Amino acid sequence: MKKKNSAFNRTFTALVFLFLYAPILLLIVFSFNAGESNVVWSGFSLHWYRELFSDRLIMRSVYTTLLVSVIATIISTFAGTFAAIGFYSLRRRQRNTLNTINNIPMMNADIVTGVAMCLFFVAFFGLWSEFAVWVNSIQTVFQLPERLTLGFGTLLIAHIAFNIPYVILSVSPKLRQMDKNLVDAAMDLGCTWMQAFWKVILPEIKPGIVSGALTAFTMSVDDFIISYFTAGSSSSTLAMTIYGMTKKRVTPEINAISTLLFVTVLLLLVITNIREARQEQLAERRRKLPTATAAEAARYSRKHTFDGPIPKIAGGLAATALIAAAVLVAGRNAGKPVVNVCSWGEYIDESLIEQFEQETGITVNYQTAESNEALYSLLKSGAGDYDVVVPSDYMISQLIEEDMLEELDYSNIPNFSLIDERFKNLPYDPENKYTVPYTWGTVGIIYNAAVVEDPITSWNVMFNDDYAGNVLMFRNSRDAMATALLYLGYSINTTDEAQLREAQQLLVNAKRRGVYQAFVMDEIFGKMEGGNAVIGSYYAGDYLSMADNQADGVDLAFTVPEEGSNWFVDAMCVLKDAPHKEEAEAWINFIASTEANLANMDYIWYASPNREALEQYPAYYEELYEEPLDPEVYEIMAASQETLDRCEMYVVLPYETRALYNKLWTELGI
Amino acid sequence: MSKELIRLRDVCMAFDDELVLDHINLYFNDKEFLTLLGPSGCGKTTTLRIIGGFMTPTAGDVLFDGARINDVPPHQRQINTVFQKYALFPHLDVYENIAFGLRMQRRPDPKDPTGKRMVKLPEEEIDQRVMEMLEVVSLKGFERRKPDALSGGQQQRVAIARALVNKPKVLLLDEPLAALDLKLRKDMQIELKRIQQQVGITFIYVTHDQEEALTMSDTIVVMDKGSIQQIGTPEDIYNEPKNAFVADFIGESNIIDGVMVEDNLVKMYGKKFPCLDGGFAPNEPVDVVIRPEDIDIVPVEQGQITGTVTSVTFKGMQYDIIVDFKGFKWLIQTTDYSPEGARIGIKIDPDGIHIMKKSKYSGMFGDYSSFSEEYDELDDASLLDDEEESEDEE
Repeated sequence: MKKKNSAFNRTFTALVFLFLYAPILLLIVFSFNAGESNVVWSGFSLHWYRELFSDRLIMRSVYTTLLVSVIATIISTFAGTFAAIGFYSLRRRQRNTLNTINNIPMMNADIVTGVAMCLFFVAFFGLWSEFAVWVNSIQTVFQLPERLTLGFGTLLIAHIAFNIPYVILSVSPKLRQMDKNLVDAAMDLGCTWMQAFWKVILPEIKPGIVSGALTAFTMSVDDFIISYFTAGSSSSTLAMTIYGMTKKRVTPEINAISTLLFVTVLLLLVITNIREARQEQLAERRRKLPTATAAEAARYSRKHTFDGPIPKIAGGLAATALIAAAVLVAGRNAGKPVVNVCSWGEYIDESLIEQFEQETGITVNYQTAESNEALYSLLKSGAGDYDVVVPSDYMISQLIEEDMLEELDYSNIPNFSLIDERFKNLPYDPENKYTVPYTWGTVGIIYNAAVVEDPITSWNVMFNDDYAGNVLMFRNSRDAMATALLYLGYSINTTDEAQLREAQQLLVNAKRRGVYQAFVMDEIFGKMEGGNAVIGSYYAGDYLSMADNQADGVDLAFTVPEEGSNWFVDAMCVLKDAPHKEEAEAWINFIASTEANLANMDYIWYASPNREALEQYPAYYEELYEEPLDPEVYEIMAASQETLDRCEMYVVLPYETRALYNKLWTELGI
Repeated sequence: MSKELIRLRDVCMAFDDELVLDHINLYFNDKEFLTLLGPSGCGKTTTLRIIGGFMTPTAGDVLFDGARINDVPPHQRQINTVFQKYALFPHLDVYENIAFGLRMQRRPDPKDPTGKRMVKLPEEEIDQRVMEMLEVVSLKGFERRKPDALSGGQQQRVAIARALVNKPKVLLLDEPLAALDLKLRKDMQIELKRIQQQVGITFIYVTHDQEEALTMSDTIVVMDKGSIQQIGTPEDIYNEPKNAFVADFIGESNIIDGVMVEDNLVKMYGKKFPCLDGGFAPNEPVDVVIRPEDIDIVPVEQGQITGTVTSVTFKGMQYDIIVDFKGFKWLIQTTDYSPEGARIGIKIDPDGIHIMKKSKYSGMFGDYSSFSEEYDELDDASLLDDEEESEDEE
């Protein structure tokens, strides 16, 4: 009986650990996958690590992360140590109160801290602006900057702020354990207070300071939420970049960087824990020591002295190097022309950024947002301080409506003339005053032709029982409702409540009957590539990327159904009062060029709006890959005008309809 | 005793409106061993810290060699301190602990004619002085040990050496023996006295242990509630306590209400006792102190007064006997055994009676109704703890 029980226990423990670590293990394993899939193993390779280290965006954010972590660690360690000493010198009651206050930020939800800091910075910038305008108006000796924005500075301040409590928390106990007469003794023997601090307090609390600094560093590297709200548009930490990249799909590159991040944090944790364990052991052995012999004692104290000259010199050098690097880097970017761009993940050939920077000397801060809606709320909150954004058509109408975009000076964008007339003066920007198209494409049905016998031509497969349990539906209200509206033969921009309710009922019924395997966004990549689902609706460009990665035995096909579909344009716009409008227009002009469009088309598989690029791409492809481009593939990528004529573009819905969408979507209960 | 070295003039100290030192006037002579003695919270440690420079008095002056040093920081005073629990630097070995003060010292560069440039002490001199000190405190061979690899007594010696190596004019010792066990404490008392005589400087010693004070001191200052109760030699303090507090705190005392009939005659229990004190008003109420060892037990019929033995404790050298005299219990230390319940008479020689003026302490001490050995011990232990608590709150 007992034996059985222990076997059960062991199994249970194993299951718990499996549950905890399986996802991470999977991630680590697939970071070494030779193929692009997260489902199909195609052999061991360090390919994704190589890719990672040559990825400019990632390397830049690694750099930002390390920089902010190191500087924040140094500053918060200083501040926290002195704060702890200040606490320590207070009376007990005050000290306890302060310690409690100190603990609150650590317990507080990060999201609250992040939002609060963001609000605080934005409010401060408002006040500062008024102050600076006033100062500049009453004197001419110096000019204060009138416009402050979220950026590396605010990111750093936020990190310092959330790190300080951890330092205090780990230094305080060391101070309390310290004999309170030590400082008096040092001063009695000729030290000033500062000398006593360096010679006596510091060596005593050093272990606490070091573990405080390690904790702070770990917290900084690890942080996403607070950084997300305080970094603004010009800085992106590693965690933020990873998050941005997951918008499209979880590539093995993300697995690789996540693996590295996991290992780094794990190492830091291990180091911290080993240090603590060792100190406890040391203290324990010392307590026992007075009974030991003198020889033992001498041997022991020699063995455990960390104060040798070599570690000291090494430590000093390392610290100096870090500080020098920090100062150097902090000063490096000041005063250079920059442009802050916010786009979508995996939505540009990154070599273009480098090329632009080399040609113009303008630094590009390239950020990504998750969705149009996320971008909108970033802009509204004042946290996203970008120059250029690349929203989709309907979001552009909304931004124009709310006067959030700046009119463009097209004389600065000569390449606008290369944009095909079909993509000018579209409903979202009828007079084309605000936008330059970036890409365009269609939505259609992706299916596994190895399973589906007859070619699919209608949206009905999304709602009937033919492939029940194997259908993937959009997990956003606009696209899911559009699917149903198209099938019912209504406009995707309808505001008719009855039509919308009918469409919703269609979805409800299909869901109830178990037609849908899942409601997904980018999870569709893995599911379709691995053959785990048969049918799904998504974007044409993404279909091409899936087809490129499909597993053996999977044969993905794409169709724009006969009922028609949604077609979309993502276009570049400049935000109202953008601080770098000139640089922004230079960037837009560069991206609108034929060369840039060809490179982007090849990289992201979305169609270009550039007339020349559209014409030249098949030849470009053939030259690059030494095989002709399949015209059928190209038709999917850049749909013909006949196909486009069957499709409709989203327009921004009136407020009441948006509210109804929300209500219907909630009722659906995804 | 030679010249005066330190003087406290009307020194007051208040923490948050609470007066912990109340107009202290005190002077310390050169090369003197002076003890500040009193229960916890009496202000003795505060007095010491004011002399050391760790606290600035709220009012009054601290004079050193005639100069006011109220605002001189500790490191500029020719005074060093041995702290409670020694406060050795745990990260430094014995040698470096002792050398600490010397390494902090700067003196004019002998090679610099202007005499303005300050240099560190040469390493040879530091080494020589540390070694000398190790010899004084008998710790040769322990140079490279860390403090936590030393016994309590050894740590104590390091603390003393660390202070003395700076050749201070005054050494302050704050309950330095409190953490040691009884045997070691006795040894260290003798050792400390020897060291003081060898180096020939002023020791100001703080303790709540009256026996320690009596053993080592040239002068004892008894303090209570922030005021000095009595200053004198150990003999003065013991034989001529000024009030009931001192009489009770130093040694054992029976303190009885009496009336001074005339010079050399005091009345207790309605009986007249000859004594050697005078200078009181006729029929002035007084406190009468009778030390337990000054009482002779005699047969009932020969006794000046008679009482009943209520308890007997064998103490080795003598018996501690509690005797009930009309409801007031006396402690008598005697070599003669008297069984519990026996009626006895007692006789007191005139020089065994000490008369004190009435004070605020009258009636608070000197009755042995609740006497017990354990009770005393407990009391001592709690004294120590209390002291720590109050320190922390400061």
